[in-house]
Amino acid sequence: MTLRKPDTTIVVLLLLAIGASIGAWWIPGWIRFISQMAISAALASLGAMVLLRAGLLSFGQGLFYFAGAYTAALSYKYLGLNEAVLLILFSIAISGGVAAAIGFFISNYRGIFFAMLTLAISMLVYGIAVKVSLFGGSDGLNIGLISILGFRYRGPDLQLAMFLICIWTAGLMAMVAHLFLRSRLGKVIEAIEDNEVRLEYLGTSVRSSIHAAYVLAGALGGAGGVLAALSARHVDPGFAYWTTAGDFVFIVILSGQASVLSPFFGAFALEVLRTFAAANFPDAWQMVLGTIMLLIVLFVPKGLGHIFIALGARWKARGRTVVPAAMNEETARP
Amino acid sequence: MQLLGHLATIVIDGVSYAAWLFIISVGLTLVFGVLRILNIAHGGMYAVGAYLAAYAIGAAAANGFGAGAQLLFAATLAVACGAGLGILIEWTVLRRLYRYPEVLVLFATYAVFLIFEDATKLLWGGQSRYANAPRDALGQIRLGELIYPVYDLAMVLVAILLAVAVSLTLSSTRIGRCVTAVVFDREMSASMGINVNRIMTGTFLVGAALGTLAGALTAPKIAISSGIGVDVIVLAFAVTVIGGLGSIGGAMAGAVIVGMARAVTAHLFPQIELFAVYAAMAVVLAVRPQGLFARPEARKI
Repeated sequence: MTLRKPDTTIVVLLLLAIGASIGAWWIPGWIRFISQMAISAALASLGAMVLLRAGLLSFGQGLFYFAGAYTAALSYKYLGLNEAVLLILFSIAISGGVAAAIGFFISNYRGIFFAMLTLAISMLVYGIAVKVSLFGGSDGLNIGLISILGFRYRGPDLQLAMFLICIWTAGLMAMVAHLFLRSRLGKVIEAIEDNEVRLEYLGTSVRSSIHAAYVLAGALGGAGGVLAALSARHVDPGFAYWTTAGDFVFIVILSGQASVLSPFFGAFALEVLRTFAAANFPDAWQMVLGTIMLLIVLFVPKGLGHIFIALGARWKARGRTVVPAAMNEETARP
Repeated sequence: MQLLGHLATIVIDGVSYAAWLFIISVGLTLVFGVLRILNIAHGGMYAVGAYLAAYAIGAAAANGFGAGAQLLFAATLAVACGAGLGILIEWTVLRRLYRYPEVLVLFATYAVFLIFEDATKLLWGGQSRYANAPRDALGQIRLGELIYPVYDLAMVLVAILLAVAVSLTLSSTRIGRCVTAVVFDREMSASMGINVNRIMTGTFLVGAALGTLAGALTAPKIAISSGIGVDVIVLAFAVTVIGGLGSIGGAMAGAVIVGMARAVTAHLFPQIELFAVYAAMAVVLAVRPQGLFARPEARKI
């Protein structure tokens, strides 16, 4: 029996999750909280990244972030559901369902149509959420005490348990996304950006492939949303506002789309940047974001994550003939 | 009689709203037609124009000028600054990205939009501003049973003038015909001796100036605060998409459809007013994904 070579990304994800779980006891509470928010954002961005692999830019990941968070908050308030794991599973399922429903409509559109329609839908939902009292209006909703796997933790124990839940939910979702991208469907998604008509002639339904990717993106966005909701214990309509989705887009640009690990890198970078900008330019947060985004698009269009990959490739290729840079540029897409 | 009055109100409201929609979207559709770029920064230009107009109107009023001079001053300042910003963005950002995929250009204009959002906030502060002096000064007019602000009706005239001016420029001047040629086929135009780069820069400049002008004209009607740009970009996109991106006639048709849809729902079913714009867009896109007036594009195999 030969052992199959293990997938590097899955190994790295497992190692990161195990490392974070062991390290959790020594990490200060505020860093754990920031990490939880970063992980939530990373999951939603991962959804945007999956769509971007198909060449589709979504300004609507905030919608699923909202759907996940509000499913949790509403089930807590009106259904009395207070088990964290159930809330997470339920929210992911509902967000995936919402994506499946919208997908019938949205999978017909490409390019700017896709980008603007996703933006329009999430702005519409924001507009409704602000007004509807069932959703708590513009104040949003609070989530009270929750149990984790049946245990009712209090204070610091609850925070620790919540951190572990976040780490492992994110790790599992990232693995699912990785397996999707590695599968046949994942390769089809990438081919969509190159040439749709060719794909159709090969007997693949471009539309249903995009639909599948959109459902995955929705589930990932919902997972991010429910983790953010359970971490902060509060949800508000801002989850569906365009600036939230803009953050996710930013994370993807910052980190590039090379691997499912990229958005995690990008989300943490964004969190660091946010802390830095809040201290130095408190009123110009969007401006700092925009400037960095512009510089990346102009000078490193593949994202900062690409620098690591280029370094890694160089390290692997050391001693061998180095491929001329010009050839790389031609074959690889930005 | 009452029903008729109601109907008249809806039509007048719809026409006035349609005029505004056309004004905010004409720049966007022009830029899309020539550059094939959806300029998200258009919303930013609109916000800049509104703030500039508030400044200009305030300054003119303080010096004792009347409503007409205030508006003229506001429009001139907005158009001048818009043109300047347009050239700046085209030279520093867009020119470097023309060969890149659509998504990357979308990122870039989004980034510029974010910068504009905060730049206006830093320059003019976070609180709302008002520039309603000229609108108040023009007073109201009685149309049958309806009392309506003159300014809002004047906007209809401005929109029609704008539409005529843009259409005439495109169809009857040398530059306009060059622009039309570039819209139709960029490579062929270049081989016929048209300086395509210059046409693109010029169009972006005009589009940007139209964006700030739209903001300046809207300023007297609204509370000017940060965040007004986003709604505009979504609305302008809806309008241009309905008509078919890049077509001036389409933008007119889109503006009328959205304006009427919104007026009808606002008066008859106010609870679903928010949906009207999107519903109109969804219906048109479901029937004709390329919009009403767009040419079908050849498929690349």
